[in-house]
Amino acid sequence: MVNMLSIKNLHAGIEEKNILKGLDLTINPGEVHAIMGPNGAGKSTLGYVLSGRDGYEVTEGEATLNGQDLLDMEIEERAVAGLFLAFQYPVEIPGVSNMVFMKESVNAARIARGQEEYTAGEFLKLAKEACKQVQLPLDFLKRGVNEGFSGGEKKRNEIMQMILLQPSICFLDETDSGLDVDALKTVADGVNSQRSPERSFVVVTHYQRLLDYIKPDFVHILADGKIIKSGDASLALKIENEGYGFLGLNYVEEKA
Amino acid sequence: MSQWLEDVIAHAEQPASNELAATWLAEQRNSSLKKLKEQKWPTRRTEAWANTSLVSVESRNAKPTPANITSWDKPAIPGLDSIDIYFVGGQLKTDLSTFTLPEGLSIYTLQDEKAEAVAASRFAQIKPERHIFGLINDAIANSGVVIDVAENAIIDTPIRLIHLANDGVENHSRVLVNVAKHAKVTIIEHGVGEEDSVNTSMSEFDVADNATLYHYRFALFTQKALHVGGCHFQVGASSYINSTIVAFGSDLSKLNIDVNYTGEHSNVDINAMYLLAEGEAFDLQSTIEHAVPNGTSNEKVHGIIGDRARANFGGRIHIHRDAQKTLAQLNNRNLLLSRRALINTKPELEIYADDVRCAHGATIAEIDDESLYYLLTRGIPRSQALIMLNFGFIQELINDIEIDPIRAWLTDMLSTRFKSMEVS
Ligand SMILES: Nc1ncnc2c1ncn2[C@@H]1O[C@H](COP(=O)(O)OP(=O)(O)OP(=O)(O)O)[C@@H](O)[C@H]1O
Ligand SMILES: [Mg+2]
Repeated sequence: MVNMLSIKNLHAGIEEKNILKGLDLTINPGEVHAIMGPNGAGKSTLGYVLSGRDGYEVTEGEATLNGQDLLDMEIEERAVAGLFLAFQYPVEIPGVSNMVFMKESVNAARIARGQEEYTAGEFLKLAKEACKQVQLPLDFLKRGVNEGFSGGEKKRNEIMQMILLQPSICFLDETDSGLDVDALKTVADGVNSQRSPERSFVVVTHYQRLLDYIKPDFVHILADGKIIKSGDASLALKIENEGYGFLGLNYVEEKA
Repeated sequence: MSQWLEDVIAHAEQPASNELAATWLAEQRNSSLKKLKEQKWPTRRTEAWANTSLVSVESRNAKPTPANITSWDKPAIPGLDSIDIYFVGGQLKTDLSTFTLPEGLSIYTLQDEKAEAVAASRFAQIKPERHIFGLINDAIANSGVVIDVAENAIIDTPIRLIHLANDGVENHSRVLVNVAKHAKVTIIEHGVGEEDSVNTSMSEFDVADNATLYHYRFALFTQKALHVGGCHFQVGASSYINSTIVAFGSDLSKLNIDVNYTGEHSNVDINAMYLLAEGEAFDLQSTIEHAVPNGTSNEKVHGIIGDRARANFGGRIHIHRDAQKTLAQLNNRNLLLSRRALINTKPELEIYADDVRCAHGATIAEIDDESLYYLLTRGIPRSQALIMLNFGFIQELINDIEIDPIRAWLTDMLSTRFKSMEVS
């Protein structure tokens, strides 16, 4: 079987700064992987590098999506190939309507797959359903992309996009931070509704709380640009109780 | 001196051109004609015309006598239910007597003696005298309407004044709108033309205390349709004006906007957008006179300039000595699509009061990398993402429009124009 996402010895950084320093991660279809780790460890960077953000340079290693070389693709090609990144801080784009934005996104994937584009009417129906599912009022479809949305509303908007885009691998970067208790449940339900044997998730979080709702198959600790420990759901509980101290992380020194 | 201006003055001096006019209008015309004769034809050394050349108009022969045009296009705004009044080739083409107007609304022709009560004290008095084309329009405009909205009248149906320029003709049309206390009205000035023509359409608005005016001016003149127009507002106390300007550019297209506050606690929002293609030029000059305290103004001007097009913007905010607690904002943002595209922008703040809050600025926009990245991560092709972001800049202002059919029509029309600019 081909791995859904396979990352081997990934070294990457920005300008002169190395951030990822030999990261390995293998994800099979249907699996949920949680990534935890201290601030500044490189979790968001991993998402940016996988998605192909400008300015992030890969200096060593490889990453494949369904056997295809991910690092060789354009940003939009990676999306169409099934990679979805839910941002830690989604950007506001006034003037581009959320609805038009999502319709163009979904249709881009459909065109790439040789399917008919959705008409405005067809898409409106789907969008309304997704909007209800993440419990955003319908007028959020008409507003500018994330324009004036609260922190929690932006996160729900990310999940709405995920539901509409039907990606094969979803990288959720701290989608739980900034959410109230009810919103956390809504977002988790949204994610769980999308779980399937063909779809995998990488859930970046600082809190065990989210993992009560979204049960991970694996938990990884990312520190100083590497996965330094992997385990099952109990690892998250241990971190919640003990912090990262038991891994000796307080003593990590910057290597030259 | 300009051949065209000489012809215009000669025409205005003919007894015939005044015989047709109502008494009140004849008096105003004579007064403006006198002032016009004292003015010098502007050159590039005239400050108001430093960046806009009058070459295309100055040496031509004027045709101030209205042309009798019998067929014309009717620019539709789908789904909009409006009272439509046509001005074609300098003639009023709509028979006002066929309208059954809502209560509180009266519309007179410029020649109507009955308009005197409303017009005599306002015509050519709201518009500042410094605009030479304003004086020209005063002196020779034959087609026009006076719109009177009575106290407390809330007029739901917009009134649309359509100015059309056909081949070779001149269109000097005139609008005067009186919005009495506590009244509300929507006026749409819709100018269209691409064929060789000269258009001066001037409008004056007197918005009384507690009144509301929604105003639209579409200056869709392109190619050879020369246009110098004006929208001039006088604002009473506790009133509100919302004005949306949309412009294309032609060999010569210029619009002057003037707002003069006469009463306190009034609020004026102006959203202006221009989309200039090929070698088009457009010049927008706005002057906001905060003459009394406690006024608020917010002016947003967004432009997209492609190819070899040129935009000129001047935004003056003048806060008089007594105008304490004024809140004035002015922002001009421009997006240049090519190296040869040009913008001259000059926001001007003149403040004589000490307790005011003002913000003004002009920027040349670039695509925000983070926004582009976000769209790409959703699979949207780069070329399309760029169109969405660039047009988003204009869409932002379109979204503020209150009337759904106008919003939809503009989104459609402007995005089509924008896409054609991208490829050229
Ligand atoms: N543009 C940049 N220039 C320099 N350093 C950067 C830049 N972007 C990120 N970094 C650094 O890279 C490191 C990793 O950042 P990253 O955002 O990936 O951390 P993270 O694990 O997501 O942290 P958090 O838990 O706080 O979200 C940090 O030390 C950060 O300061
Ligand atoms: Mg992060």
